[in-house]
Amino acid sequence: MFLALKEIKHEKLRYGLIIAMIVLVSYLIFVLTSLALGLSNQNTQAITSWNANSILLNKDSNTNLSQSLITQEQDADLKLTKNDAYLAQASVVTKSSGHEQIAANYLGLQKKQFVNQNLKLSSGHKAENDHQVVADEKFQHSGYKLGDKIKLNSLSGSYKIVGFTKGAKFNIAPVLYGTLVGWQSIRGLGSNFKASAVVSKDSHVKSSNSNLKNYSIKQFIDKLPGYSAQNSTFTFMIAFLMIISLIVIAVFLYILTIQKLPNYAVLRAQGIPAKVLVKNTIFQSFILVIGGIIIASILTILTALLIPTSVPMSFNLPLLSLVAFGLVLTSILGAIIPVRTILKVDPVQVIGG
Amino acid sequence: MSTIELKHINKVFGTGLSRVQVLHDVNFTAERGELVLVLGPSGSGKSTFLTIAGGLQTPTSGEVQLNQKSLEQLSQKDLENFRLNKIGFVLQAYNLVPYLTVKEQFTLVDRVRKAGNIDSNELTNLLKYLEINDTVDKYPAELSGGQNQRVAIARALYTDPEIILADEPTASLDTGRVQEVGKLLKELATQQNKAIVVVTHDLRLKDYASRIYQITDGKMVEDSKDN
Ligand SMILES: Nc1ncnc2c1ncn2[C@@H]1O[C@H](COP(=O)(O)OP(=O)(O)OP(=O)(O)O)[C@@H](O)[C@H]1O
Ligand SMILES: [Mg+2]
Repeated sequence: MFLALKEIKHEKLRYGLIIAMIVLVSYLIFVLTSLALGLSNQNTQAITSWNANSILLNKDSNTNLSQSLITQEQDADLKLTKNDAYLAQASVVTKSSGHEQIAANYLGLQKKQFVNQNLKLSSGHKAENDHQVVADEKFQHSGYKLGDKIKLNSLSGSYKIVGFTKGAKFNIAPVLYGTLVGWQSIRGLGSNFKASAVVSKDSHVKSSNSNLKNYSIKQFIDKLPGYSAQNSTFTFMIAFLMIISLIVIAVFLYILTIQKLPNYAVLRAQGIPAKVLVKNTIFQSFILVIGGIIIASILTILTALLIPTSVPMSFNLPLLSLVAFGLVLTSILGAIIPVRTILKVDPVQVIGG
Repeated sequence: MSTIELKHINKVFGTGLSRVQVLHDVNFTAERGELVLVLGPSGSGKSTFLTIAGGLQTPTSGEVQLNQKSLEQLSQKDLENFRLNKIGFVLQAYNLVPYLTVKEQFTLVDRVRKAGNIDSNELTNLLKYLEINDTVDKYPAELSGGQNQRVAIARALYTDPEIILADEPTASLDTGRVQEVGKLLKELATQQNKAIVVVTHDLRLKDYASRIYQITDGKMVEDSKDN
């Protein structure tokens, strides 16, 4: 440890540059991971906030909420409990003078059921009639205020924002929570249809209708349009980034160790045990990487504080810790690879005659 | 009963056209209590001989014995211990760790070898004797060649080894210092009963030697002292 620290102290520039490189690499990984996660969360935020475990959809809907409809007839075959709640989805575009158009998901809820009951508002109140909606914070960030009237698609009636809620994104689009009747008129379906789906906190909704099928929330999320494709793209991007960065860091630490060999040869000639040298090398890599990761973490936190809210960033501490752990592990590996060389270092070759 | 004994040592580098035999059937002994000088011109095989004697490289054939123990029989770890505890090396170049101050070169040894090193009084006296006591806070790059060499000598003596192997320890010293170093080495041999082997082309050390070997083109012969 003595050698490792003295060396860093004496060669500030060299080690400063290496730490800077580790900082940049880990910062890049941290920020990209958080961005990817942020985007991924925008698909599922609303679903996660319901705390549901299963969803009942029309079996011909391809596990897609917007393709699913439950008729009044089918509804008669359902036995809903207090753990079940209707969900009625309509894709809408909101228009309001002086505001940009926003593509949103209208989700009709039934007042007394758990999704509506558990809805957490950051301001205002829940929808009390069919022309009131609770809007995701995205609307607030876009300049909408409580009491603002919005038009949906090219429908004639207008809807009033009576409340705001946080973290209500479904399939990237912000959610407007309304009522089942509101939904019927938006979709123009009349009263033949009850809702799009039923979500449940239980493992399934009791149904005796063979046209309706229960899915787990995980199955449902995986089938969200574009979700899996997006996720696997990001996973691969980050995995490649990780692997390449780790190789780069490992290579740097390798070169660093190789450059130390003349010194090590002297020390070995003097009888300093190889074990001491190996320990020092690994300890040094450890310090460099930990130092780099700490600085990168601070930068990432600063970035999160400064980045505009329109860019979703989501920090998952366990995931980021895992990434950091991976960095530490590979860099130690990078330092260990040349250990064989340290053990084999031939003092004579370096010392010369 | 020799402390260092080399028997029929041959050392060959390379193969085929690039094959060079650097040492030819070298026989050598050094005992505790004597300062043995190995004199030879540049390229004669002095450093090769010394590093083989200290177990830093292995001979192509022949046997090296330190304290009646064949080096071949020692494990890597035993050899390390042997070098740390029994041998003091003064190498021809690169003796010091560049990122440690002179004082820290000794601290490093303390950390690895917790007991048996000379105490701080003795070290101060040694550094004073070698006239390097005012360099303790300097890095090797800030020292002259001669100062570097004297720090290397002090470093080799720090562990109070039985055997000292020195490669050109006086190469960049002026005559006055050569005499001091010669005297110091001689005293260490006779008064502290160490075996000291110095390989050099520096004839100025001749006066301090107990015995002298001549090496030319890898062939070693013992000189009779009186010619
Ligand atoms: N690893 C090696 N591979 C090939 N040849 C070598 C090697 N090491 C030394 N030699 C050769 O062996 C010969 C003796 O080298 P050595 O270093 O022992 O000489 P020396 O007597 O110490 O010389 P100097 O006084 O210049 O230090 C030289 O010709 C050198 O080129
Ligand atoms: Mg030499």
